[in-house]
Amino acid sequence: MTFNLYDFYLNLRRGGIIFCFSGPVSQSIVEGIGETIKQKMELEDAGVGVTQKVFAIFVEQMQNVLNHSVERITDESVKEGELRLGVLVVGQEDDRFYVFCGNKIEREKIGFLKENLDMLRGMDKEQLKNLYRERRKAVRGEGSRGAGLGFIEMARKACKPIEYDFSLIDDNHAFFSIRVII
Amino acid sequence: VESLFVESTKSSPYVHFDPQLHVLEIRGESYPENAAKFYAPMFAWLEEYFASVDNDQSIEVNMEIVYFNSSSSKVFMNFFELLQDAVVAGKNVVVNWRCHEDNETALECGEEFMEDLQNLTFNLIEIPGD
Repeated sequence: MTFNLYDFYLNLRRGGIIFCFSGPVSQSIVEGIGETIKQKMELEDAGVGVTQKVFAIFVEQMQNVLNHSVERITDESVKEGELRLGVLVVGQEDDRFYVFCGNKIEREKIGFLKENLDMLRGMDKEQLKNLYRERRKAVRGEGSRGAGLGFIEMARKACKPIEYDFSLIDDNHAFFSIRVII
Repeated sequence: VESLFVESTKSSPYVHFDPQLHVLEIRGESYPENAAKFYAPMFAWLEEYFASVDNDQSIEVNMEIVYFNSSSSKVFMNFFELLQDAVVAGKNVVVNWRCHEDNETALECGEEFMEDLQNLTFNLIEIPGD
């Protein structure tokens, strides 16, 4: 056996990871896991505000996978539309919760994402609020799936600048990961 | 114009637009997979409705949203801007943004919408907890 599940489990425990998911993401997965994370945090008295923030960031990250991961399973029989692959963990570090998510993207998207995230990393809460409101008002009725507000929303709810990374996979693809500390 | 009724799901709200009472209601969670697509019938309905009602008609909009994702946020802004256009055209629209008093996030979101919609009567209503 090449993969030891117990070692994996111990690594997760040692790393402070309280939830871990890897595989195809669908809207019902987002709903189900989201509810579970909310319940778990409520049971542990994490506080309404923190629970809401973790849930909101979880939804934005999972829906990013759902809309943008280039690793996908398309099948006529899949009623909900496409399934897209991604990895997500929710963990605790120094008494803070974090949501950490990754998926495969096209390499050509790196520049745009990096530019966008670096800009947000340099902004304070007031600047983020203004940017959010500006972007929300701009362009009415656009048909795009993501409104481009997701990253700003996450940055506004984070207690530290958003962390991100790109690992090159091949000539055309990279693995994009993003970590938001609440 | 017939009334518009949509049952709620885990990630999408209950929607009831009543053209007789002139009351538009949206209640629940809003993080559907594709917010623009989910709310498209609502916008189509509004276009038809606004074309059919008297210019000085009073319209009440009740929104009680527990949580909404960023793409729903965009759609709601489009919705409110459409209502604001109706106000400019002479209609009397009142938006009631309702949220539980312990849901600070929803309250703050309501405040931010209100700040951006200067020509729309936008009431923040806190529902007392139990």
